[in-house]
Amino acid sequence: MRRLFCIMFIFLLFLTTGCWDKEEIEQRLFVTEIGIDVYQNEGENNTDRLTVTYQYPNINAIGKNAGSGPSNFLLTANSSSVFQTGRHFMSKVAFPFHFKHLKVIILGRDFLREDELMRSVLDELNRDTKINKRVRILASDRKAVEILEASHTMEQRIEGTIYSTVRDNRHTSSFTVKALTDLITDFDIAGVTIVPRVTLDENNKFMVSGGCILKDYRFLDWVNAEENKIINLINGDVALETIDVEYNGNIISYAITSSSTKRNVDVGDKITANINIEVEGYLQGYILNNKKNVEDVKTVLEMEKSIEDEMNKMINQTVSHIKEIKADLIGIGEHLSKFHPKVWEKIRDNWDDIFSDIEFNINVDAKIRRIGLTK
Amino acid sequence: MQRKNVISNNQLKNLLVTTVVGVGILSLPSSTAVVMDNDGWIAIIVSGILFIPFILMIDKLFKMYPNKTIFEIGKEVLGKVIFTIFLIIGQIYSIIIIAYAIRVFGEVIKGYLLEITPIEVIIITMLLAASYAARAEIEVLGRIATMVYPILLGLIIFLVLINMPEADYTNILPVFNTDFTKITRGIMVSIFSYAGYEIILFAYPSSEDKKSALKYVLRGMFIVIGIYVITFLTTLSQLGIDQLKRAIWPTISVANEVDLPGYFLENLDGIVIALWVMVVYVTIGPLLYIGGRVMENIFEAKSHDIFILPLIPIIYTVSLIPDNIISVYVNMGNILSYIAVVAIMILPTLVFLVAVIKKRRKKT
Repeated sequence: MRRLFCIMFIFLLFLTTGCWDKEEIEQRLFVTEIGIDVYQNEGENNTDRLTVTYQYPNINAIGKNAGSGPSNFLLTANSSSVFQTGRHFMSKVAFPFHFKHLKVIILGRDFLREDELMRSVLDELNRDTKINKRVRILASDRKAVEILEASHTMEQRIEGTIYSTVRDNRHTSSFTVKALTDLITDFDIAGVTIVPRVTLDENNKFMVSGGCILKDYRFLDWVNAEENKIINLINGDVALETIDVEYNGNIISYAITSSSTKRNVDVGDKITANINIEVEGYLQGYILNNKKNVEDVKTVLEMEKSIEDEMNKMINQTVSHIKEIKADLIGIGEHLSKFHPKVWEKIRDNWDDIFSDIEFNINVDAKIRRIGLTK
Repeated sequence: MQRKNVISNNQLKNLLVTTVVGVGILSLPSSTAVVMDNDGWIAIIVSGILFIPFILMIDKLFKMYPNKTIFEIGKEVLGKVIFTIFLIIGQIYSIIIIAYAIRVFGEVIKGYLLEITPIEVIIITMLLAASYAARAEIEVLGRIATMVYPILLGLIIFLVLINMPEADYTNILPVFNTDFTKITRGIMVSIFSYAGYEIILFAYPSSEDKKSALKYVLRGMFIVIGIYVITFLTTLSQLGIDQLKRAIWPTISVANEVDLPGYFLENLDGIVIALWVMVVYVTIGPLLYIGGRVMENIFEAKSHDIFILPLIPIIYTVSLIPDNIISVYVNMGNILSYIAVVAIMILPTLVFLVAVIKKRRKKT
């Protein structure tokens, strides 16, 4: 019996080495950013419909004893799918690619208009076991490869400059951060979503601002930074944002520190959406004038009133815009599907038309909690 | 043969929980969601409660024949020939369920961790490792289960914690919105996740305090139901109903959706799988032990451990029969759910009913 045990034990040792998957960490190329464009293929081999660009860091050029060379490498190839591209590159690079640390995917201008391609790429990304499903998705109004070319040598960051910008929206709400899984969930529920827009400014530097509305897996409209801010405000994810309002002949700037939204949808003969938005913040700036001080509660209340009026105006503008383009970006469909499932079952097939007829009651409650150091 | 092995009631409970929770926990949220949508947890709870009458019955049976193993009771009640047929059915069931569990295990490990390693190697390694536990007596299994039990609870707590910041708990809504005629199919899907509870048939006679054993076993069953419901609600709130239905192994998928501030907390699938491997080990070990014990009694041998190694090639071959992962879940899963109903629900009931009738006849 003991001998049998010994044989079994030795046998086990042979099997537990795991040498099939042995790979040294420095012999891996960690792809951090991928750009996807459409390849207009006229040739015979027409399965290649994508132009895919990989960006991966030059590990030798990062860290304390940084060597020379660019901080990131770019590789571009025409291919049939995102991962197929990696196999094309295998003849050009020394080590295999790894997608576990993929952070950003940039969708090029033309790609946004191809819904079949979009579906197949999203499925490919969602199906893969290696990719982190919180990879950030961005849409570009240029070719994705142009954005990557402009950004890849900017800073020595392992995870890529664009990712650092969009990692979370704690510092700005002029765009809506969208991860792969959020994007797919949005398409599932409302069929429409908004992803940040990345573009190039005059100096050929990349810039993330505003958003791109995608509907049914294809491009619908661009929104600018202001409008995107309002959409975020309605959804209750604004933190640290400033708005300027005219009060008593001067411009006051009001900094929002937190916001929350309560949706309440009445489903009678006609659907009415009541949206209550509560924002909290402080007074960032008023005017240095002895006659104009913030001394009593009445002034604060008046200021709050003018802030609310201004915000109401902006929100109504944005809401009528998204009603016009039939894009439910403010979660009304999601709310219906959760709280009024029976109604939602009936209307979900022609939700677009119903959404554009909904009546909105928007109620903003702005609070100035602090006024800074002076009165 | 009289076994002197004794396990405490707490070990009995731990053994029950760790044996039942195994590979099913990965796919259960998605397979119930496909049938019952957001109300999948109802099917999970109902099918768990369905097992309680069987547990009560087994308890009663062992009270009627104190200090006897299930094999001795069976032979006495049904006669040798019929009971051997029962045992053969039970043996077929335990071979298929181990093959199924080990195949799913291999697919998960290959999919997430070891891409290039052949699945045959993963399967045989795990089987050999589990055979070490299975060759031991029930007392050792009880101790292993007590060691892994905190790891299992840790895995569940870990899953809930890492999902808290990103999860949207309104995804659980709407509740009670499903067509309740679907609940039968929902139960059929989820009942299979409770397979493995038959370990109490073998562990019960070894309990040191048989009076309170039932209490511990029932507690263990409720813990299993709780674990499954928590897993379902966590995956549902993190993924949303459509993504949940799409996923094959949502319980690992959620670990890939985590992205907390600070770079070190992402791609947690490795940690989840590492913990889960332990859980699978304490599923396959006891199941293999059951296989050995049944073989021992079919062939009327003196000990069960000589049958463990010969079982491994059979299980290995059966586990490699399905061509692909879909076939594992659909074909093998279907065959298994029927045979499981026969082996772990109908057969114990028959033994119990005949025993009751015989007792009554004796009295009159």
